[in-house]
Amino acid sequence: MSTHDVELMGHLMRRAGFGADYEELEARAEKGYEATVDELIAADSQEGIDDLLLYRYHPDHQGGLGMAGAAAYWLYRMVNTGGPLHEKMSLFWHSVLATGYQKVTQGKGMMNQIAMFRQHGMGSFRDMLVEISKDPCMVLWLDNHENHAGAVNENYGRELLELFSMGVGNYTEQDVKECARAFTGWTAANIDYVAMKAQRDSLWPYGRMSLRFEYRADDHDAGEKEFLGHAGRFDGQDVVDIICAQPATARFIARHMYHFFVADEPPVPQWALHPPADPEAIDILAQAYFEHDYRIDEMLRVLFKSEFFRSRSSWFKKVKGPAELVAGLLKLTGRYRLPDPGLQEDANLMTVMGQTLINPPSVEGWHQGVEWIDTGTAVERINYAVQQLSDPARPGVKRLVDSVMRASGNGNATADSLVQACLDRMGAISVDESTRGALLEFAAGRVVGDGGCGSAENVAELVELVASTPDFQRE
Amino acid sequence: MDATAAGPRVGFLRYSYTLGVAAMEGRGFYYPVDLDIAPNGRLYVLGRSHEGDTRGVQVCMTDHDGGYHGVFGSIGEADGQFTWASAIVIDGEGLVYVSDEYLNRISIFDESGRFLRKWGVPGAGEGELDGPSGMALDADQHLWVVDHRNARLQRFTRGGHYLSGFGAGGVGDGQMKLPWGVTASPGGDLYVADWGNDRVLRFTPDGEYVRSYGGSGSEDGQLLRPSSVAVDGAGCVYVADWGNNRVQVFDPEGGFVCAVMGEATLSPWARDYLNTNVEEKEARDRSDLEPDVRSLGVDAREEPYHVEKRFWAPVSVKLDGGRRLLVTDRNRHRIQVYELTASAADASAG
Repeated sequence: MSTHDVELMGHLMRRAGFGADYEELEARAEKGYEATVDELIAADSQEGIDDLLLYRYHPDHQGGLGMAGAAAYWLYRMVNTGGPLHEKMSLFWHSVLATGYQKVTQGKGMMNQIAMFRQHGMGSFRDMLVEISKDPCMVLWLDNHENHAGAVNENYGRELLELFSMGVGNYTEQDVKECARAFTGWTAANIDYVAMKAQRDSLWPYGRMSLRFEYRADDHDAGEKEFLGHAGRFDGQDVVDIICAQPATARFIARHMYHFFVADEPPVPQWALHPPADPEAIDILAQAYFEHDYRIDEMLRVLFKSEFFRSRSSWFKKVKGPAELVAGLLKLTGRYRLPDPGLQEDANLMTVMGQTLINPPSVEGWHQGVEWIDTGTAVERINYAVQQLSDPARPGVKRLVDSVMRASGNGNATADSLVQACLDRMGAISVDESTRGALLEFAAGRVVGDGGCGSAENVAELVELVASTPDFQRE
Repeated sequence: MDATAAGPRVGFLRYSYTLGVAAMEGRGFYYPVDLDIAPNGRLYVLGRSHEGDTRGVQVCMTDHDGGYHGVFGSIGEADGQFTWASAIVIDGEGLVYVSDEYLNRISIFDESGRFLRKWGVPGAGEGELDGPSGMALDADQHLWVVDHRNARLQRFTRGGHYLSGFGAGGVGDGQMKLPWGVTASPGGDLYVADWGNDRVLRFTPDGEYVRSYGGSGSEDGQLLRPSSVAVDGAGCVYVADWGNNRVQVFDPEGGFVCAVMGEATLSPWARDYLNTNVEEKEARDRSDLEPDVRSLGVDAREEPYHVEKRFWAPVSVKLDGGRRLLVTDRNRHRIQVYELTASAADASAG
């Protein structure tokens, strides 16, 4: 096992999860890269999560009245799950098939949607599109309850084609209309009461109204339709079948996955104007899509094992999203292994970094990459990282400091070995030369007389300094 | 309030009426976790709320007729405040004790809600607390506290002086895993909801293990993470089967007597809300609030989300004078009241 193996594992675990400590990276590297990819894909998403324990201490993680509890519940899962890729894929779908709390106004329905992403997010894309089309939060969000036979509301049909599957330029306005017709009658039960309570943000008398899909045959337009060159009495599932068979769909989903896992692409509305950064990678992923019957897990397997993902040139090229940054830091510092009231505050802090989980700003989801960073969010992100790693009372921080001390010679380190040990133990981090130079200068300033450096105090200071670097904001 | 004569009867338990409404402030409950009955008959309902909206951290004073008598308490760590409020008991003089399983303390109020004092020291030593959850007063008006993360029960004077304690963590006979609620039976024995082991444990006041009730599962007589227990004069045991979203009754020997699933109707406060929000009431009246979701493939544990009358995380059971069973229905922010039409022992024998 080489240093490169551990660094590569660090890259995989940051992108396919929320990072890992050095001991986990070593153990996984020992097991092998390809075996780890397979293991991440096959993992049980419930491993490490005791829902009933959470529900005991955090009632809203179960009752789901509001947005905050739903976000905190998800953050807990990101930190503690034994199946990190499932949570990462849920985050992926949450931004691609974006549904906002602002119009649904209940946490429980949104938690159920995220659970659906967890369940189907790595299966067939066809199943995913059917499930999201039936999701009652999506019904409310894109007004499909107002899409009736004879009085079509195109909102869902349009976004399904434009943002959820194919992208602009690959269908006509007539296709949008026909698509919408196919989804007439796809609504939610008790929709009048549900919609009224959602609009009024009403939790009276006994909490939120339950959300569940309902198909109303009497409100479905069963007439002949022409859609993407096909003709028939299509319903929503037929339309999804036709969408999934389109090369444009394969390339659209492939580009989303490349954007999320490999390197930043421009925001989706610009895709029609800007070709992919790596067309060959998109071709490879699109091919996997068709070869494996639209299965997302097989696309992920190809992606993570590809040279374009593994290449050092793709490391630390992506800006961490707020959820990735916060969950990764909490994982590193060992916080919230058990329920604790502070969890909510950490979830809330994502908002000031530009991402309110459960409530994406629009149906486009979040614009990612460098758009996460502005002068305000950069300060919040750096402050948060430093604050988390500067508290020696946190079990992970103490473990980290002890680990760096052992690896760097227990107080007799050279500046170079101390910096390297620190970067390794914080998750096999690489930094550019100017950052390394600054870290070395700092460490050299801690060398006492003819001796070395690396006291607990030196290490703690250096850990904080690493956390404040621009490199730490990337993955 | 008069009982609903036509209420469904399950064995000897007949649903009577519902109290409360969801409310973040003032009149109503927000994720209530426990209640107790004062000597003057008033009900003190403890709202846990949640970290995302802490306004519901309060004790709401009501009665069986739906009267509103004010609130006290709020979120925080100052005197008279709570962070993770867990249980409430009221002594014979009307003093109110509230446990806080995060701040590791017991706060005491007078019957009007005025803060009097607090006690509790965090730790694992004798008399120290790590997560005080359930509480019960025994016949001597001593306070038994479930020290849940230390997996033990401790007995204190009402002023907080340590008297005795027992318990150990584990899964063996008499051992506990994150216990929650406790009650002292009329006979003096202590019954503890051994939450993590899916059972209720019975001990003598000296800590001698007597027997257990329940066991893991969702069939009749099995429990999933029970949170609270009450015992009647005949020794029958009423359990908030929290994880299974029901209340079960056992005979003194542990035999299954019956289970109730919740039959909530509109409380006076709920009616007040709907009568002043007529559009919502009309939309509600057109809705199916009791769908047969199992036929739609919905997981049984999700059923209470879809069927509004059902218990959803029933967290506390209290017997009121041997005539009524009060169930704190946490995730629906209300109290469901059942009438005892006979003793459980008679029902079991019958």
